[in-house]
Amino acid sequence: MRQKLINGLAGILLAMLLGAVLMLVQGYNPLQVYLALFDYSLGSGFSFLTMLRNAVPLVLTGLSASVAFASGPVNLGQPGQLLMGALFATVAGLYLDLPPHLMLPLLILLAMVGGALWSGLAAMMKHWFNMDEFITTLMLNFIADYFTLWAITYPFFDKSAYSPMTPPIAKTGWMPEIGQFNTSILVMFLAVGAVWFIFTRTTAGYEWRMSGQNSLFARLGGVDTDKNYLAVMLLTGALAGLAGGLVVMAGPHRFIKGLGANYAWDGVMIAMVANNGIVATLLYGLFFATLQTGALGMELITAVPSEIIMVLQAVIVLLVVAGRGYLDVLSRRFAERQQTRERAA
Amino acid sequence: MNAIIEMKDIIKVFPPNVVALDDVSVRFEEGKIHAIVGENGAGKSTLMKVLYGMHAANSGSIYYKGDKVDFHNPGEAIASGIGMVHQEILLIPEYTIWQNVILGVEPVGLLGQIDAQKARQQVQKRIDEYHFNLDPDDYVSDISIAARQKVEILKLLYRNVSILILDEPTSVLTPQEIPKLFDELRRLRQNGHTILFISHHLDEVLELSDRTTVLKRGRNVGTVSTDQTSKKELARMMVGREVVFKTKREDHEVGEKVFELEKLSYTDPEGRLRLKDIDIQVHAGEIVGIAGVEGNGQFELVNMIMGLIPQREGSLIVDGEDLRQASILNRREKISFVSQDRGNMGATLSASIKENVIMTHHRLDGRFTTLAGHVMDYQEASAFTAQVRDQFSIVMDDDEDLFRSLSGGNQQKVILGRELLLDTPFILLDQPTRGLDVGSIEYVHRQILDMRREGRALLLLSADLDELFRMSDRILVLNRGEIVADLETDETTIEEVGYLMLKGLRDETETD
Repeated sequence: MRQKLINGLAGILLAMLLGAVLMLVQGYNPLQVYLALFDYSLGSGFSFLTMLRNAVPLVLTGLSASVAFASGPVNLGQPGQLLMGALFATVAGLYLDLPPHLMLPLLILLAMVGGALWSGLAAMMKHWFNMDEFITTLMLNFIADYFTLWAITYPFFDKSAYSPMTPPIAKTGWMPEIGQFNTSILVMFLAVGAVWFIFTRTTAGYEWRMSGQNSLFARLGGVDTDKNYLAVMLLTGALAGLAGGLVVMAGPHRFIKGLGANYAWDGVMIAMVANNGIVATLLYGLFFATLQTGALGMELITAVPSEIIMVLQAVIVLLVVAGRGYLDVLSRRFAERQQTRERAA
Repeated sequence: MNAIIEMKDIIKVFPPNVVALDDVSVRFEEGKIHAIVGENGAGKSTLMKVLYGMHAANSGSIYYKGDKVDFHNPGEAIASGIGMVHQEILLIPEYTIWQNVILGVEPVGLLGQIDAQKARQQVQKRIDEYHFNLDPDDYVSDISIAARQKVEILKLLYRNVSILILDEPTSVLTPQEIPKLFDELRRLRQNGHTILFISHHLDEVLELSDRTTVLKRGRNVGTVSTDQTSKKELARMMVGREVVFKTKREDHEVGEKVFELEKLSYTDPEGRLRLKDIDIQVHAGEIVGIAGVEGNGQFELVNMIMGLIPQREGSLIVDGEDLRQASILNRREKISFVSQDRGNMGATLSASIKENVIMTHHRLDGRFTTLAGHVMDYQEASAFTAQVRDQFSIVMDDDEDLFRSLSGGNQQKVILGRELLLDTPFILLDQPTRGLDVGSIEYVHRQILDMRREGRALLLLSADLDELFRMSDRILVLNRGEIVADLETDETTIEEVGYLMLKGLRDETETD
């Protein structure tokens, strides 16, 4: 636990140091840049809440990837599942107009169903044809990408718009704002809590974790690994779908071309940095959201392009993941030396 | 006598808390066979790997022919004339023997091409010199394990190594092959080679070695002249207490038929017949042993009984229930299973001890879950882990520690505890003492006999004939997927079983 914390903090600090060198070389003042970065993401109540809202799709897709990877299935279909979730929520929001206390849960549920259908498709292909989900989920991303683009260009196109997008969904389907606090943040924390409970406390979660680490052992222990595989695929698809639904319901309130942005791939990256831990995924998700939110402010105040944040993210991933192995080696070497000294004395 | 190698005050630590070598000093004399014995984890292999340059010692020094040396890698050790044969054999199966031998030190012609003729001749010369009875043109994939081991030794001799380190060389051999290896090692000694020989089979050590060094928990307990010691004394030095070599199997009446396998056959996906018409019956209070050279169908038989391979033919009845098509979980209500492969089948090394202990119990015993079986009760799991720990005298700190952090013997005790406490009428044991040390083996054997006394039915697969003879009431011999003999243990001999095991395997052993 302490080692994980040291590893994460050291990786982040080193990465920021490297980023600073990069900025210096290009003639910027790194101190000013970082001040602007954190001022616009954490500096005020408003920027903090904006950061939290931006964290929603990152954390949820990250959670999806973490749970999948830790349980065995290599679900890399978060981008497609997110889009399908967004489409399901949008279409329902276009045609239904129920009171909010029914509308909101319904749209959220449909978003999850959309994501789960898309990952379930991959699970079925594994079941029927023994096709690897590693490949099928990746390929289904492309299909979802073009399918949703078609859907918002033709059947659900907003005729008053100039680029592919749907009309706005019914107002009752908008995630309510309490002051500047968008309630999608609440849904995110609820989802994190629920997944944490399922993963670490339930029987199913125990079996998933065991299967993820040694599936032969789990099978011999009486675990129904096929059933668990399907459950994990559906749950992780639903989480990515939820991310998509919340993006629509909290933000533009309609499906716009390019809606998925890079959220899902960032989520996969977050899962890797977090080593598939649930709490770590939340923390790294919040941190990456801080960087991305601050990037806009940084661009406003300084001349540094916001792309530098992508470089920073990549360097953090490299340093934290690589550092994980190296810190082990280092601490082992240290312990060896210390114990030898004790023995020799 | 002058010491050709002297290791002084060697300390080697493997964090977090393993002191593999704790100030070990030892001398090896030229032209002798030295045995290094000790339980698992005593530091035998580590000591040799430090000498061989595979591990760097944290402190201490090594003298070779009077000079201080410090090998940074095995290549440097070999260049100085020290070579090591590891437990696992590392050859390229698609290459011939001579190609494997010269790999890395190829004699080359003018243009840098391999001088195949010269290489072959050189290898043949060594083979003749040491009476190795190998054909240099044979492909490694076609020769027996024993022959492969000889190729490993040949590789080192080709590199003019004068000191040979052998890490448990007999562990991969059948009983018939061991004396041949010993003859070859004695011949090497006659030629002036020094041999360091790691083992935990005391009979072998007494038969072969001139001097024996006993390690215990990383310390040198003593070096003795082998002709002045006994099995009992060595065992006491190793374990630190008296070891009962004959675990007693008392006579008693067997009960009803518990396990019945009939007409089981299996053809693998490549179309090879792996099991043929297998019939096995085990009664309550009976231990049935299955003898056989590895790879004669044991793996398939175990996987079939456990339900990893679907059974298409024959029947499987345990405790009156037809399990032929049952799920693994249903089988587990009747079958406990201790596998030979702890890290792969028996446990998850990267999970906690507790998580390993409650596997299967979490489904079969309601007390580990609440809310209709959906939520785990980890407190109950901790209590159960403590019970297993006390009942099976497992040495461990915290049940949240990784399973990996336990020693091999303790890992096996955890698995044994988990399985035996499932309280099933039938227990399947696949080489349950593989890789364990003398003390742990004795412990496992006592547990097995306790189960027999309690009236369980046990099926024991083992490659160790001594173990089979000590434990089993009946011995079945498995050869090429067929049961070729069904023998009462008291009416047969190790030699007979050994012969039956190899019968039909002649063509493979002929090269020896």
